Amino acid sequence: MMGNQLRDVNPDGKVVPLTTLFPGEKAKIVALGHGIRGQRHFRTMGLMEGKTVEIIATQPARGPVVINVEGTQIAIGWGIARHILIQKI
Amino acid sequence: MKKISLMGCPNVGKSVVFSRLTGVSVISSNYPGTTVDFTKGTTAIGGKKFELIDVPGTYSLEPTSKAEEVAQTMLQEGDIVIDVIDATHLERNLYLTLEILGRKKPTIVALNLWDETKHVGIDIDVDKLEKLLDVPIVPTCAITGEGIKELTSKLRDARQSKAIEPMSEEERWLKVGEIVSEVQVVHHRHHTIWERIADTTVKPVTGIPIAILVILLTFLFIIGIGNLIIEYLMDPIFYNYYGPWIVGVVNSFSPDGLLHDILIGKSTIESLEFTQSLGLLTTGLYVPFSMVLPFVITFYFMLSLLEDVGYLPRLAVLVDTGLHKLGLHGSAIVPTILGFGCNVPGTLATRVLETEKQRFMAATLMAITVPCMAQSAMIFGILGRYGVKWIFIVYSTLFVLYIIIGLFLKKIVRGESPELLLEVPPYRKPDPSTLLKKTWTKAYGFLAEAVPFVILGVFIVNLLYVSGVISVLSTVFSPVLTTLLGLPEGAIVALIMGFLRKDIAIGMLLPLGMSPQQLTIACIILTTYFPCIASFIVLLRELGIRDMLKAAGLMITVSLTVGIIMRLILIGI
Repeated sequence: MMGNQLRDVNPDGKVVPLTTLFPGEKAKIVALGHGIRGQRHFRTMGLMEGKTVEIIATQPARGPVVINVEGTQIAIGWGIARHILIQKI
Repeated sequence: MKKISLMGCPNVGKSVVFSRLTGVSVISSNYPGTTVDFTKGTTAIGGKKFELIDVPGTYSLEPTSKAEEVAQTMLQEGDIVIDVIDATHLERNLYLTLEILGRKKPTIVALNLWDETKHVGIDIDVDKLEKLLDVPIVPTCAITGEGIKELTSKLRDARQSKAIEPMSEEERWLKVGEIVSEVQVVHHRHHTIWERIADTTVKPVTGIPIAILVILLTFLFIIGIGNLIIEYLMDPIFYNYYGPWIVGVVNSFSPDGLLHDILIGKSTIESLEFTQSLGLLTTGLYVPFSMVLPFVITFYFMLSLLEDVGYLPRLAVLVDTGLHKLGLHGSAIVPTILGFGCNVPGTLATRVLETEKQRFMAATLMAITVPCMAQSAMIFGILGRYGVKWIFIVYSTLFVLYIIIGLFLKKIVRGESPELLLEVPPYRKPDPSTLLKKTWTKAYGFLAEAVPFVILGVFIVNLLYVSGVISVLSTVFSPVLTTLLGLPEGAIVALIMGFLRKDIAIGMLLPLGMSPQQLTIACIILTTYFPCIASFIVLLRELGIRDMLKAAGLMITVSLTVGIIMRLILIGI
C-alpha cells in the first residue's frame, strides 16, 4: 500500500521502530505496522508513509512518544509506536 | 422537517458551527472528542425550518469507537450533510470528506479555522477544491462567526458530488494525496519560541513538575476563591438578609408546629441555623447556594480554562504511563477530571475510550472513588473546620482505592486495553466571554438540578423523622454502622439520602455530633458505597444491567471494607 511513496526511502538507511528515536531527532515514516487499531487510524491522524516526523518528547518507563507530523502533535502509546517503522534523517 | 447532519473530524470546531447555526450554546473544548453524545437543535434557514444534528467527531466512517458508530448511524438519517473541515489539516480531514461524498448525500463543506491557515502558512485554492469535490465549499471561522451567513445561504446548493464515487480505502488515500497536492501550498516555517515553550509541558523532566504545579494551583484556586465567595457574599446574604426575612415570614403565619419546623426547622431570628435545622427553606437552600455553588463555580471556571487552553491532552500524555499500569490509558484522565465536577458528564465522557473493558473500568472507578464537586464542597465545609488533615485523609484514601481497584479490575475484567493515540492540539488563547459563558452554563445546570433535589431530600428526611422510620432503620442497621464502622446509628439517614444526592447526604452528618474521625469515615463511605440517583441512571444506561450489578457489588464490598479498615486505623477497636 502507498507503494509510490516508498520510492522516497533511502535503500541504504536502517529501518528502525519509532521508539528508538530521541527527542529532537527527525525521521521519515517507512511503514505503519499492524498496530492494534490498524493503519487506517494512523492515516486519519496524519501518520502516513513518506511523511517526516520530529520527536518532541518521550516519557520514561515505555510511556507514550509525542511526535510532530506537519505541524500536528500526536501522542502515541509505546506499544503502538514500536510498530511504526522509520528511517532517521 | 428536513434533517441536517453536521459532521467532521474531532476538534475541528463543529460544535461552534452548531451553536452559530442554532443559537444553542454547546460546550466546546480544545480537546478531541468533546461531543460524545449527539446534540440536536433547530434552525430556520431561508424561511424553512431544519433539524440540525451535531454528530460526534470521527476520523472515518468505519467505526473504531462508540462515537464513530453513532456518527455512522446519524449520517444515514440526515437529509443534508454539512461537512466541517479543519483547513489547517486538510489532508487528514479530506479522507472523511471523500467517504461522506461517496455516500451520495447532498453535502456542503465548511472550511473551518480558515483564519488560522494564514498564521500557519497554508494556502488553499478554494475554487479548485470546489471543482475537484463538486460540492459547494465555504471558508468559515466559526469562533468569530465569519462565513456562517454564506454557509446558510449556500445550503440550498448542497448537492451530491458527481466527481467523487465510492472507492476503496487505498484509492481514497491516493485521491486525498492527489487533491491536496493540487490545491494546497504549505510555506515552510520554523518553530516559534512559543511552540518551544509549549513543548516543555509534554517533556517529562519539565512537564511533570509543571503538571503538579498546575494541579496544585487549580486546587488552591477552587478552594480559596470558593471560600471567599462563601465568606463575603453567600453567608452575609443568608445570615444578614435572607435568614431574618424568611424566619419573619414563616413566623407570621405559622409561629410553631409541624409546618414551621418543616419549612425552617428550629431557626429563630436570634439564632439562625442553616446547616442543621433541616428546614426546606433554610438548609434546603443554604446547602446548594452557599455551601456548594461557590465551589461549583470555581471548579468549572478552572476546568473550562484548562480545557480551552488545551492543557488536558498534555496531562493525558504525562499520566499515560501510570494509567497504563491500571489497564487504562492517558485519555481516561479527561472523564475522571470531569467526574470531579459531576459524575454524570464524567461517565458519558468515558465513551472516548475504545474498548468495553476500558469504559467499564473508567466508569466504575469514577463511581467509587471520584467525589463530585457538590460532595467535595460539603466535605471541605464539614471536615475543614477540624483541619486540612482530615480532608487530606479522605482524598488520599480515595486515591489509594483508585489504584487498588484499578489493578484489581485490570486483572479481572476481560477485554483489550489499547494504547494511547491522541492528538495534542496547539495551545489556544482562551476567550474570556466563552469561559464565563461555559462556567455560567455549568453553574446554572447545577442549580437547576440540585435545588429541587436537595429540597426534596430535606423533605423526605423530615418525613422519615416524623414518621419514626428513621428510628426503626437505625436499630436495624445499628450492627453494621455502630459495631463495624464506629458510626452513630443516626448516620443511616445520610446513607439513605446518599442515594438521592451526596451533598445533602453529607449535610445530614452535621446534626449527629460526630468526631472528626467518624466524619472522615462517613465521608469515605458516602463517596464509595453507591452513586447518587442521577449518576446511577447514566451508569446503568452506559454499562447495561449486568455490568451495573457487578459494579454495584464492587461498590458495596469496597465501601464496607475500606470503612472497617479506616475505623480500625482512626478509632481503633
